[in-house]
Amino acid sequence: MAFKMSSEVSGHVVSMALVGELDATSAGVFKSEVDKALGQAPRSLVLEVKDLTFMASAGLRVLIYAKQKLGAGVSLYVVAPQEAILSTLRMTGFDKSVYIVDQRPPVESDAGRPA
Amino acid sequence: MTDPSSQTLPGTLEAVGRLRDYVAKRAKAAGLTGKAIYNLCLAIDEIATNVVLHGYQEAGRTGMLRIGTALDDDRFTVTLEDEGAPFDPTRYALPTAEDLARPLEERAVGGLGIFLAIRGVDTLQYESSPGINRHVFVVKRPSPQEPHGWSTPVA
Repeated sequence: MAFKMSSEVSGHVVSMALVGELDATSAGVFKSEVDKALGQAPRSLVLEVKDLTFMASAGLRVLIYAKQKLGAGVSLYVVAPQEAILSTLRMTGFDKSVYIVDQRPPVESDAGRPA
Repeated sequence: MTDPSSQTLPGTLEAVGRLRDYVAKRAKAAGLTGKAIYNLCLAIDEIATNVVLHGYQEAGRTGMLRIGTALDDDRFTVTLEDEGAPFDPTRYALPTAEDLARPLEERAVGGLGIFLAIRGVDTLQYESSPGINRHVFVVKRPSPQEPHGWSTPVA
């Protein structure tokens, strides 16, 4: 399945919905959306991934890039990952640096908790 | 060994998704579970991506990716061949538990792909002969005698 994504800004929160397969071909699209988000100086970045069916290390590298550019004070949320992607996040220890949640956090909770 | 089949594609990133689809279809026919199929496809993706980016593009080479599958009673085997610069992922220093416990802000970006590839299958073998590199991915198959096993064996 091809990769698609969309982004929106609401207050200090940038939300992105990722759909389909995130591999080395599509990771560039994700990275440029992250680059655009950096310009908004968000306090949180929320990734909605319930319809993301595949994520390779190319996607993980964009998460590392996002966290390094945004800084430790900006929270990164991964909302509703499918089982296989959750397993990848756990196996690689990413679950210790990003918040994995079932539902998108309310906009008010964007105060930027330290990771 | 039954059901040997193969497909040859150009050594480009665009071909990698097609390799995943091909392997997923064959693995499903071989009776692998959803999780095993996903992890195998992830392993193939990571290795094939490295071959394209490093073995071909970075080395200024072009060539093919040939994927083959084979079925035995107890295992499903995928062979990926390429003509790029040789690189043995089985000798690569994987991220340690300590590396994986670091916050993302302090992470190096490399090494995760090979880590996921090796973790995704039961065995990953590599061999290189002049002009051809070969990665062999082996996944154990559920025994036909186990739970859903009264039906006709897949092989």
